[in-house]
Amino acid sequence: MSRFEVVRTGASAPGAQPATQRNVQHRGGEANTSAKALQDKFPAGVKRVEVIWGETIVYVDPAAAHEIIRWLHDDQSQQYDFLSDVTAVEYRDAEVPIEIVWHLRSLPYRRFLRIKAQLPKGAALEIDSVMDIYKSADWLERECYDMFGIRFRGHPDLRRILMWESYKEGFPLRKDFPLRGRFSRSEQLRQALAQNPENRYSMEELTIADAFVDLPQDMRDRLSKGERTGE
Amino acid sequence: MARAYFPVLMLFGFVLLNGLLIIGISALTIRGRPTPVKQQAYESGIPAIGDARERFSVRFYLVAILFIIFDIETVFMIPWAVYYKQLSCFVPLVNDVCPVGHISFFGLGEMLVFMLILLVGFVYVWKKGALQWD
Amino acid sequence: MGLTASGEHRTVSYAPESQEGWVATRLDFLVNWGRANSLWPMPFGTACCAIEFMATAASDFDLARFGMERMSYSPRQADVLICAGRVPFKLAPIIRRIWQQMPQPKWCISMGACASSGGMFDNYAVVQGIDTIIPVDVYVPGCPPRPEGLIYGIRMLQEKVKNERASDKGIRDEMEPDPSSQLYIPPPVIDELGEPFGNSVNQTRSGL
Repeated sequence: MSRFEVVRTGASAPGAQPATQRNVQHRGGEANTSAKALQDKFPAGVKRVEVIWGETIVYVDPAAAHEIIRWLHDDQSQQYDFLSDVTAVEYRDAEVPIEIVWHLRSLPYRRFLRIKAQLPKGAALEIDSVMDIYKSADWLERECYDMFGIRFRGHPDLRRILMWESYKEGFPLRKDFPLRGRFSRSEQLRQALAQNPENRYSMEELTIADAFVDLPQDMRDRLSKGERTGE
Repeated sequence: MARAYFPVLMLFGFVLLNGLLIIGISALTIRGRPTPVKQQAYESGIPAIGDARERFSVRFYLVAILFIIFDIETVFMIPWAVYYKQLSCFVPLVNDVCPVGHISFFGLGEMLVFMLILLVGFVYVWKKGALQWD
Repeated sequence: MGLTASGEHRTVSYAPESQEGWVATRLDFLVNWGRANSLWPMPFGTACCAIEFMATAASDFDLARFGMERMSYSPRQADVLICAGRVPFKLAPIIRRIWQQMPQPKWCISMGACASSGGMFDNYAVVQGIDTIIPVDVYVPGCPPRPEGLIYGIRMLQEKVKNERASDKGIRDEMEPDPSSQLYIPPPVIDELGEPFGNSVNQTRSGL
């Protein structure tokens, strides 16, 4: 069905069952049909499927994650058009790799799917960004980078979002990061007071704000390459 | 006749004195403590960037001008309204009442003509799209 | 309330030449009365305490009876900065700048546990007490403080204002932070105060 057709309550794509789940099993419930479709389509990429509390989790190979998510977004029988979260998990057990989690929702089909990719801790934490598929991944991935240090390849503007950009203490939600931070309180205060939130913008960009899109293309190019004018 | 306006002059004098006293005593007694940060423009706690003199749309000017014009029209209606009784009578008023048979529509017609002229202007403004905000 | 301002100049001297004259004391009284009863707050509300502040300003616990119903969100027209809520490190330079842009006379009320000491958020992101970055006059404890508690703090500030004297030359001077550290409390004191209670300073999230 056309993705722009309005889906009325109870009239979603044929075969969809929008209803509140009752008597949900802890493990081993019925999996999302997308999981089966994924296993058929990407036999190498999909590592395993688990169903916990009725939610389907598909573990994928990090290299195949982008392709899989692209397929889930584009395919007419899947239509996962809403990315509600990109996050990461580091477990207390040092042996367990870091997992990157994507929460995908299909609004026409009323489905929820959780995709996880495991990155071993010894290697560099990098994975492809899904920003070309979902624009909302912009800040979600920035938050993930800020808190865990996971670099998203292909993200146009990967910088810290919750902590200030020149934050030097590391990545706060990692398990080896102490709760109170690495520096002393007075040092943290000193660094915080020295931050400048606007040091990366050119004067022109700041004064004309969202008139940026009205600028001629060559001017936009020059500004995005870092040209600074009239300060 | 002029004596009736003497209280107005007194009021003007008091207002002037009051203003001068407030500013004068403040200027003489207050010791300012300016600091560089205090002097800067307020921009929600971040360092102020750029000149605040931005270009803004001409629609604001249009609204202001149209307001002035139609406001002055309204202002002209006020003295007209004060003298309406006399204007609608062919002969001078007797005991504040127009004698029967001498009622005229001169005053009304005069104002209607005035408003009609301005109405033409209003219709022009309307058709030209000056009242459209977007 | 038994509140007395600190400093040797507060001691009353009986020598006639060092006492202030009648006019000076009456003027002091008038000015302080005016200031105390019309403290225009700047509600720097960041979190839950801001809700309690709104409740205090609303009809049940009316702040208007203290002359504080006119909130100023610009520091230029405010008398007292009420920091209600936790202040993350990212917000620290902003509250510092806003404090510096307030004209004299100005006071600060640190409302709630988070503004006074970091509250329950003893972590990498929250300033452990705004008195490290701006000078605070009154601390109001609570999480959040009840409106009556905040009003108690405001009354305490009013007492402080009323105890000011014009002969006190330095009282309105802009309190400058220590130039090397830009902090209002010496860094060693901050570090000592910021130590966690009973746990290792190197506590990691997993406790290992």
